[in-house]
Amino acid sequence: MNDRPDARDLLEIARHAFTAEILPAVPEPLRYTALMVANAMAIAQRELAAGDSPLREEYRRLAGLLSQNPAAPDGSALRDGVESYNRRLANEIRAGRFDGEKRAAVLEHLRRTTEEKLAISNPKALVPG
Amino acid sequence: MTLDEDSTRRRLAGFVARASSARDAVIVTLERMSGGAVQENWALDVELDGKLRHWVLRTDATATVRESLTRAQEFAVLKVAHAAKVLSPEPLFLCDDPAVTGQLFFIMERLPGVAAGHRITRDAKLVPDGARLARELAANLARLHRITPAHAGLEFLPTMRARDCIAHYRGYLDTLSHPYPALEWGLRWCELNAPQREDTTFIHRDYRTGNYLVDEGRLAGVLDWEFSAFGNPLEDIGWMCARCWRFARPDLTVGGIAGVEDFVPEYEQMSGRRITPGDLQYWQVMAHLRWAIIALQQLERHLSGTQRSLELALTGHLVGQIELEILNLTGAP
Repeated sequence: MNDRPDARDLLEIARHAFTAEILPAVPEPLRYTALMVANAMAIAQRELAAGDSPLREEYRRLAGLLSQNPAAPDGSALRDGVESYNRRLANEIRAGRFDGEKRAAVLEHLRRTTEEKLAISNPKALVPG
Repeated sequence: MTLDEDSTRRRLAGFVARASSARDAVIVTLERMSGGAVQENWALDVELDGKLRHWVLRTDATATVRESLTRAQEFAVLKVAHAAKVLSPEPLFLCDDPAVTGQLFFIMERLPGVAAGHRITRDAKLVPDGARLARELAANLARLHRITPAHAGLEFLPTMRARDCIAHYRGYLDTLSHPYPALEWGLRWCELNAPQREDTTFIHRDYRTGNYLVDEGRLAGVLDWEFSAFGNPLEDIGWMCARCWRFARPDLTVGGIAGVEDFVPEYEQMSGRRITPGDLQYWQVMAHLRWAIIALQQLERHLSGTQRSLELALTGHLVGQIELEILNLTGAP
C-alpha cells in the first residue's frame, strides 16, 4: 500500500494550488497552456472520481444490445470486454444490423454512452444551448 | 525553419528579384505569423526597386498532415480561384528550388484584415453587419463553385462526393485500435441518406470562420486552400454551418456571424442551386464526421509519439462533443 494521500487527493490539491496560486501569475503568452494544464487535471480528476461504474453500465447495455450475458467482469477484463463489444457494435452498425427495429435502442445506448463520456471530458457540453 | 537567417534572407531576396524581374529587392521584414499548424505563413515586406510590397510567404510546417495539397498544387489552385474572381490573396511566385530556403514555398499578396474566429464572432466593431458578411461569403462561395472538374490545370485534385467521404472516413477508422460506434452510426446514417445525384464542382473544404479575412466589416479574402478538391458544393455549406466554427456565438449557425436565412438565399440566387433543410442537415452531419476524424488524427499524433503534445491530447476529449452533435442531428425517431 502506498503512503497516503492517494492519486485522487493529490491531483485535487495539486490542481487547487495550480489554479489558485499559479494561474493568476502566469504571463499572457503562457495562459492558454496553463488553462490546458488545469483542464487536463480536471478531466483526470473526474475520471478517477467516476471509477469504473460508467464502464460497468456501458458493458451491461452493450451486452443487452448484442444479446450477450450482462454480468460484467472485473478489473482489466472489464475494459477489454467493453472494447471488444464496442468493436462488434461498430461493425454491426456499419453492416446495417441496427437500421430497423433496434434503431431506437442503439440510439439510446449511444446517447447515454456519449453523455457519460462528456460528464468526464466536458460536463459543460451537457448543458443544452 | 530558419527563414530569418542572414544567408537565407540573401537567397530569398535574390529569388524575389529574379521572379519579379526587378533590378533590386531588399527584404525589409520577415516574421512568422500566428496560426497555421500545417503550413507556416511569414509576413514578408520587400522593397522592390524602391517600392514597398506587403506579401505572405507560405511554406510547409514540420508536422505536415498527409491529406493536404503540396505548396505547388495550392499555388495552382489559388491561381484558378483568383482568376475566377473568388476573393482570395493573389498568388505571385512559386519557388520549387529547395536551395533557396530548404523547402518549397510560394509568395502571395498580403490582404488586410482579421481572421481569428473568436474575435470575428465576438467583436461587433470588426463585424458591424453579420448578415451582410454572410451574404458576401455566400456570393463568394457561389463563384468558387462555378469552377468545374473540366478546368484545365487542376487534374491533381481528388474527387470527394458523399460516398467517397463515407468510404474515406471509414477507411481511417479501420486503421485505429479503438472503435467509435457513434461515428459509425453517423456514417451509416449518411450512407442511408446519401443524395441520389450530386453536382460535382471545385470545393474549398475549409471554408469557415477563422479562414477568411474581414477588413472594415467586409470579406477581404479566403485563406488556406490546401484541402481543396472536387466534390459536392453542399459540403462547403455544411462545413460553414457546423457548430465547431461558431466560436463565441453557437446560436448563429453560419460561422457564428449570421443565421441560415442570411446565407442560404443569397447562395441559391448566386449559384442557381436549391438547398433544402434536408441538404443542410445531411451536410452538417458530414461536417461533424469530418471534424471528428480530424480530431482523431490529431490525437493519434500524440498517442503514437509522433508529436507528444498537451493540445493534441486534449483534442481527443473533443470527440464526445462532436458525437453528441451527430446524435442530435441524426437521432429523430
